[in-house]
Amino acid sequence: MQDKPDNARVLPFNPRPKPETENGFDSLAKKLETKIANIERELKDSIHILESDVQRLVKRGKGKADQADIKDDLATLSKTLEGRIKGTLDGLLKESRGKNEREELKALRGLSSHLMQVLTVDFYKNILEKVKPTETNDDIDEFGMEPAMVERFRPLLDFLYEKYWRVETTGINNIPDKGRALIVANHSGTLPYDGAMIKAAVLKEHQGRKDARFLVEDFVFHMPFLGGLMYRIGGVRACPENAERLLSKEHLVVVFPEGVKGIGKYYHQRYKLQRFGRGGFIKLCIKTQSPLVPVGIVGAEEIHPILFKSNTLAKAIGIPYIPLTPTFPLMGLLGMIPLPSKWHIHFGPPIHFDQLGAEALQDEILIHKLSEKVRGQIQQILIEQLKKRRSVWRG
Amino acid sequence: MKKPLAKDKSIVIIGVNGFIGRSLLRHLEKDTRYKRVIAIDYKKPNLTLKKTKFYKLNLTETMADVTLSEILTDEACDTLVLTAFPMSPPKDQALAHEVIAIGSFYVMNACAAAQVRKVVMASITDVYGAFPTNPNYLTEDMPPKGHLQDRFLADRIDAEKQALKYAAKFPDRLVTILRHATILGPTIESYKTRYLRRTISTTMLGFDPLTQFIHEDDVISAFIKAIDEDHKGIFNLAADGVLPLSRVIKLCGKLHIPLTQIGFKTGVQLLWLMDLSPAPASHVDFLRYLCVADNDKLKNIFGFTPRYTSKEALLTFIGAERLRELDLTETAA
Repeated sequence: MQDKPDNARVLPFNPRPKPETENGFDSLAKKLETKIANIERELKDSIHILESDVQRLVKRGKGKADQADIKDDLATLSKTLEGRIKGTLDGLLKESRGKNEREELKALRGLSSHLMQVLTVDFYKNILEKVKPTETNDDIDEFGMEPAMVERFRPLLDFLYEKYWRVETTGINNIPDKGRALIVANHSGTLPYDGAMIKAAVLKEHQGRKDARFLVEDFVFHMPFLGGLMYRIGGVRACPENAERLLSKEHLVVVFPEGVKGIGKYYHQRYKLQRFGRGGFIKLCIKTQSPLVPVGIVGAEEIHPILFKSNTLAKAIGIPYIPLTPTFPLMGLLGMIPLPSKWHIHFGPPIHFDQLGAEALQDEILIHKLSEKVRGQIQQILIEQLKKRRSVWRG
Repeated sequence: MKKPLAKDKSIVIIGVNGFIGRSLLRHLEKDTRYKRVIAIDYKKPNLTLKKTKFYKLNLTETMADVTLSEILTDEACDTLVLTAFPMSPPKDQALAHEVIAIGSFYVMNACAAAQVRKVVMASITDVYGAFPTNPNYLTEDMPPKGHLQDRFLADRIDAEKQALKYAAKFPDRLVTILRHATILGPTIESYKTRYLRRTISTTMLGFDPLTQFIHEDDVISAFIKAIDEDHKGIFNLAADGVLPLSRVIKLCGKLHIPLTQIGFKTGVQLLWLMDLSPAPASHVDFLRYLCVADNDKLKNIFGFTPRYTSKEALLTFIGAERLRELDLTETAA
């Protein structure tokens, strides 16, 4: 809480100067400064009130019923707090006359709610502390997933899902409530963030299912550090044996049949589905009698636009490609931060293969036809979503 | 399914100085169900033997198969347990090859001549090898690829092949191969326990494979079951549950120093030559990639469920280790 004023001051790092006179600029800067000071004071006051209220509530509450009360009270408190901040900013907006000024304040208001917490040191400290692996006594499951580790990553996952890519999920109920199912999605984005976002979507939106396991390409799974992390948060190395085992244990499995071809496609190929492997996912569905849920992800193509990739250099260090994006390697490590596009994930209606038996597994032509059918459905989902999309960044 | 053996038939254990052979012999010696037990090794085990008959035989001798077939015929061998394998990769690879691969070859030839009904062979899950292409759970029908990695493992695969050849040649006879995972427990001693016992455990920076163990009591119980009952084929003998290597080292409470993979192999090989590393550099991949066996066949077909999980097996090892450091093992037992 103490850091807040410091960071709040960072906010208007780029006040747009009035073009007419130097005096105008000075006065605007001064005005803005006083206004920021006002907001600060307001925030501080509100936080003090909130703190004292919380303390009072905690002292009072002992039983379970009280806890529910506290929850309600906290909700109303946070609402009033929000209202107060909004009111202050609105007041400021009314006072201001110049167009520039109003724009500035509008932007400020939009940003304040998100950036206030995102830009504080505490926010990152909290995330880092939660993410830092520490010894726990929780047992891990047979594929190495640690529930404690997943919990630790939840804030980061939630942040990416809600704030960064503002993922909009539709059709989540197409995932069966229980039992095995295979989620087939388009793959993109240079690094497998799309798998993580599907996991987040299932965790957050679906009622009662928390067990989405995503299959990870070899090059990610055997990348130093990343591999060890992947299996701890629920990733499994992509191979037919693993997928079959997961499905036979009634898990929800996420696969990307495009594989490396999909995740590392050029920017100009975006949203054009690549070949769907050799139809292994169809065989998997027939073998394990699992329903298939086609998924289209829009937005992930733009997080790391690949303009060029080097395969020879990459081979030397054992990864499939080194991408050249607008930010990487130009900006070094900073260039590895994905761009904040707006995402939309749509889950299509499930496809069943119940009527197909073991003899269908031998029929490669049929497998290929079914694979193409699924590919067509996902492409259709993408086209529908892209038709509606007005902007890459705002959706 | 347990039926007592015919009176004149005997159980033969070859290799009673190793951990499995010795523990098994101790058990058979105590159990009154087994009337005739024969032990064969190149030196007498450190056990008081009452009913067991001991034969001294070195499998590396040229006429070992002839001598062995005579012994097996004389003693009317019904079940032969072959555990004459070193637990750790030996320094002398040529000698190891003689004992493991050629020794098994001799034993199988002798079995063929003496018409041994059942052969139970010990093997290890490491024969699958640690490869980046391994699925999380290796099943018995996957071909072992350890020979691509290491000569010690190549010899173990060769030994298995001799037994499988024997099974194919005589369809009326039984061959059971038990591939055990890393054995841990209060008394076991192998290169893996030496690795876990060191003050500083070095791993490969950025790699943290899942590992799997089996408790020593479970191993012996499974071998007894294989002697008592007839089960044909290969079975992975591994406990439930997996543990990341880093967690294993943390539980052991040792200093964990990850080193970069550049020069790691060379370093390990140098240390191995100086007698400071428990295994040669060819075993380094086990610190890097998965080699975990599936125990579904063991549970469903062999009908044996390990009593200890991987973690519990590890904890018994750690507990005994801590007492050993304080010289308290005897009083605790």
